Amino acid sequence: MAANDKVSKQPGLSRRALLAGMAGAAIAGTFAPGIIRSARAAEGKIDLGGYAGPELTTEPVTLRFMRQDFTPDVNALLEGAYAEFQAAYPNISIVEEKVPYGDLQKKLLVYVASNDAPDIMMGRTDFADGYHAGKVALPLQDYFSADYLADVPDNLRAAASSGGNLYCVPWETSVMLLYFNRDLFEKAGVPTPPEPEGLEGGWTDEEFIANLEKVNAGLKAAGDQQSWALAAAGQGNGGPGANYSQLESIWIRSQGDPNAPKDSPQYKTLMGISDDGRSVTGYIDTPEAIKGMQYYQSLFQKGLTPLGPVPNQFPGGLAATYFGGLNFTNRFRVPGLEPPFKWGVSLPPKGNIVFNGNGSDAPLVWAKSKHPAEAAALLAFLCNDKNRLAFHRAWGSMPSRTSLRNAMSEFATEQPFKMASALSNSSYSVPRTPGYFDYFNAMNPAVKDIALGADPAKVLPETAAKIDRLLAKYR
Amino acid sequence: MQATTLKPPRERRWSRQNSNPVLGVAMILPAAVALALFQFLPLITAALNSLQSFSPFDQSSTGWVGFDNYLELLADPAFRSALFNTFLYIVLMLGLTIPLALVLAVLIDKRLPGSTWARNAIIGALAASEAVTALIWNQMYEPSSGLFNAILNAMQLPGQPFLTGSGQALISIVVMSVWKDVGLPMLIFLAGLQAIPRELPEAAELDGATERQIFWTITLPLLRPSVIVALFMTTITATRIFTPILIMTQGGPQGSTTNLALYSYLLGFEFQSPGAASASVVCMLLVLALITAAQGLILRDKGAN
Repeated sequence: MAANDKVSKQPGLSRRALLAGMAGAAIAGTFAPGIIRSARAAEGKIDLGGYAGPELTTEPVTLRFMRQDFTPDVNALLEGAYAEFQAAYPNISIVEEKVPYGDLQKKLLVYVASNDAPDIMMGRTDFADGYHAGKVALPLQDYFSADYLADVPDNLRAAASSGGNLYCVPWETSVMLLYFNRDLFEKAGVPTPPEPEGLEGGWTDEEFIANLEKVNAGLKAAGDQQSWALAAAGQGNGGPGANYSQLESIWIRSQGDPNAPKDSPQYKTLMGISDDGRSVTGYIDTPEAIKGMQYYQSLFQKGLTPLGPVPNQFPGGLAATYFGGLNFTNRFRVPGLEPPFKWGVSLPPKGNIVFNGNGSDAPLVWAKSKHPAEAAALLAFLCNDKNRLAFHRAWGSMPSRTSLRNAMSEFATEQPFKMASALSNSSYSVPRTPGYFDYFNAMNPAVKDIALGADPAKVLPETAAKIDRLLAKYR
Repeated sequence: MQATTLKPPRERRWSRQNSNPVLGVAMILPAAVALALFQFLPLITAALNSLQSFSPFDQSSTGWVGFDNYLELLADPAFRSALFNTFLYIVLMLGLTIPLALVLAVLIDKRLPGSTWARNAIIGALAASEAVTALIWNQMYEPSSGLFNAILNAMQLPGQPFLTGSGQALISIVVMSVWKDVGLPMLIFLAGLQAIPRELPEAAELDGATERQIFWTITLPLLRPSVIVALFMTTITATRIFTPILIMTQGGPQGSTTNLALYSYLLGFEFQSPGAASASVVCMLLVLALITAAQGLILRDKGAN
């Protein structure tokens, strides 16, 4: 038998080999266009940034993307990027849905509940634990290269991760800066706040309030009855209780101490929630937290800031100070868009520490997306250096990757950017719990009540008890 | 004088010719289906959901929990406050809207100069979007730059925390709602007034009755059916009031303007608790049913057959 086999494998074109060859040619002919398209993409026709997932399909695919509505120039940038992606992958079409920013998270949850969610949705790093616990988002670390992920600072990567998985792509990061109007300070006869490049040298809570009182008195004495010492918050719906994650939490969490013992109220005040993410009593109602909210309340009681929302108060030159993100710096630097006053930037007031919350927008891929690789590739493309730099220059937000900051010279040369970078590097994520949506929605009205005169020593324990009840369902 | 005998209205009887059962069913079917789909199905769903717990992430049912959601509600001080506020809204809305609507209807019915303009203005407010109205009033109530405080300041009076004081916010919302919604009961009263035979007040006037006597003894008793309809409509409006609260105060300060409608919404959409939200909705419906039943009982016409 063995000898016969050897004979049959002698050189020559057998009938079987001929048939196999014809079948192979037919298969190759069928799939050739797809292979060629993939090869073209792989040749670097477009830069998929940090994408390290499987090869993209050649089958027709429609990706749905839900995001907030940006300004027209930023929308145009994104639409241009989709067009470029679709030119490289003609089999992939992109359908976009824009929703008002304030409705994003609610809409995301409704879509997930409907079991027919878009492939990509703009989420927030704040809810990474919720995306994990609810199996809402696809773990993305396997779709991105190790180098790309290492480019995201540890604290930002941790904010977007839960249980060791990356659930949303750090898209930008948040810093809260204290802007001031030099002209109004001069008019009031009060020295302007310090302008440090790092985290040292800013005003303390007491100094901040005392100086705002001087500004208020100085402006009134100068006959200015219109201007305020501190502008109404412009985040969220505006006014007090606008956005606890980014703004009002500064007053509570800055009273904490990361180096204090774990069971101390100072440490708990900074963390804002128990390690298991289930309890806030003893965390948001500590003496330190109450003290922080008393500082916050005094801004309203002393008439230093309006009780309600007032749009564009600071850019309009009607307030001496304002808490805003880096986008204001970027906007004010654009020739032709400068505000009608001289301005500067300082640190947010310091309690026990200078606190900055880094919760920010971060797109995710729906866990049940039928096209996870294509969705991740589109995200990676939108997050490549070229697209991100164009986005940050147009939108003005702070990049979440170190290499992008290095590529923007202003981060090495200009005080507001250096300070923002220092703030970002020492920033903290929101309190870690799968129920942060409940936490956030309970804290905002509590903060507003305090601003309007309710006793923080009563409101904070009541709110803590309420949040504990709400978090019980996440057990 | 010749006595006249009034013939009783001829009773309508179904003849064989128009008693086609298929046609009858076909004619009521669309309305029955619409009612079943859009009224009864949601109601039954809410009642069933109130007995279940749900995943906070994808809102899928995680099992039956009996009356746990109701017990959870009763343990929540915010629910008790919302229940109380719901009654308060109803009482204040009825107390302000019904008399004001009646006065406006009587004045407009007198066809005084400017009554056409006034009627159009009131109906215009009624037709305006609730959200837009709330936004405009929100601006007018604004503590530092609003119209009302500007007027008070011009009169050397202290500014008021209309929407920012827990003692004033609810009444401020009620005032806005009365301004907006007074048109509907006014139209109901106006229709009722115009249905009263003119001979009755004229005869009373000839007999020497004063205007006040005519109003209290003739007009108002004859307006009884209109009053009942207006009361029911206003009660329903007051129980369901939602958009102005959401836009103007979001239920604050300190929950002082949160009613059951807003409380249910917050539980369902802000706090991911559809089971408890459904229980709250069922409670709201029970409140509404109880109040309307009580109104029906109190206002029933004992003399009528």
